[in-house]
Amino acid sequence: MKKTFTVEAALRCYPAWWRSRYAEEVRSVATDLGAEGRSASRLAFDLVRGAIRVRVRAQGMPAVYRLWTTRTRLSIAVATLPWMLVAPVVLMAMGTQSLSSRVGRIFPPQLSLIGPNDLQVMGRHAPMAAPPLTSAGWVVVDGSRAVLALFLVTLMVLTVGWSRLTSGIQRSSSPHRRKVALLAWAPGFALLADIGLVVALILVRPSRYHSTNGGLMVPLNGNPAAAHALGVALGIVAIVGWLLSIVCVGVATKQAEVAPADLRFGRTVSVIVAALLAALLVAYATWGIGLIVQARQAASGSHTTIAYSNQGLWPPMMCVLISGVVLSVAGARAAVRSWRVISIQFV
Amino acid sequence: MASKRLGRTQDPTILVLTSLSGGPKHGYAVIKDIESMSGISFGPGTLYGVLARLEEEGMVEPLPAEGPRRPYRITATGAAALRERLQVTVKVADVAFKRLGALGA
Repeated sequence: MKKTFTVEAALRCYPAWWRSRYAEEVRSVATDLGAEGRSASRLAFDLVRGAIRVRVRAQGMPAVYRLWTTRTRLSIAVATLPWMLVAPVVLMAMGTQSLSSRVGRIFPPQLSLIGPNDLQVMGRHAPMAAPPLTSAGWVVVDGSRAVLALFLVTLMVLTVGWSRLTSGIQRSSSPHRRKVALLAWAPGFALLADIGLVVALILVRPSRYHSTNGGLMVPLNGNPAAAHALGVALGIVAIVGWLLSIVCVGVATKQAEVAPADLRFGRTVSVIVAALLAALLVAYATWGIGLIVQARQAASGSHTTIAYSNQGLWPPMMCVLISGVVLSVAGARAAVRSWRVISIQFV
Repeated sequence: MASKRLGRTQDPTILVLTSLSGGPKHGYAVIKDIESMSGISFGPGTLYGVLARLEEEGMVEPLPAEGPRRPYRITATGAAALRERLQVTVKVADVAFKRLGALGA
């Protein structure tokens, strides 16, 4: 009973076309092997490994247009969604920047993202020029700038891809067009909800305060309790909306029966996103290594050092990012191969 | 065994083609045949991954099913590919044995 259940569960990991072709034979082989004493877990593990291989390589998949377009759309989703999951987390996990020096307090406390930085030490007398950053410190600065730039560029690429997806769904003749379009618009709805909450927060937040003798700040207008509640709601809606958007866009991408030209566009977007995510990994790795080297360089001599509030999260975030890149590159590769099959056999 | 440290040298594709070169077989028979000739035990996931690829490449073909079991047969393309691959393997093995003999190992 247990053997049948585990084998059946493992068989469900295979795509439907594979199950309809091989499942009966595999069941029979698994029953024979089970009867001679091979363990159910070993059989199930082998089947799950085989299922992953079949899903990644699509070996033996029949030349049916619908199967290949679904595979291409799914691959595009696999290539692009890891960025949506991982990149914002990486950006938040870097934390806020701060500058320090043994000589004294540094002003401004953070480096400007663009333009020259005229750092000064705020001493007891007149301000004086701050000691320079170490060479590794500049690598950290450039790494963080690269991470931010790559984040923004990828966001723009994904926005273009998303708008092509929504317009492709509008043009499609699928009977489920409206339902899929609604799913695809999830990021738009989430953004509207966020904007609505931000506007409400601005309206109810106190803007004028009165200072009491005890040093307390008493609001003269607005509703502090409502502002606090809206602030909490904004955080929750932003996170839940973001996660829901990822799920909804993923489902919409898989189900949207768009034209071949839209598929080709999606394939290009997926390749660009995977490449940009790999570049983000390089930039983030450079940033983290720069921080480690900077700590050694700063120990010998007087330097201005740069630190980030969450830099301790670098090792686990590298693991998350590497997993994301592997998944994204595999998705992009599958999208390219699937599109090649479509363009050769059907278009 | 020291040879285990050399890693996996038996390609599942070659093993499946070698098994089918002895005549048509269904999945379970292929697994048992490979086990008896090489000591390697395949699972159904590995076997059907290889069979699907070989079928797609025209190296094996399915025969009419006998109940839940379907026998597979090696095609002329599959036999030619296996022969070509084995010739290279035999050549490498010959050189290796000669050199080992010269070493006195």
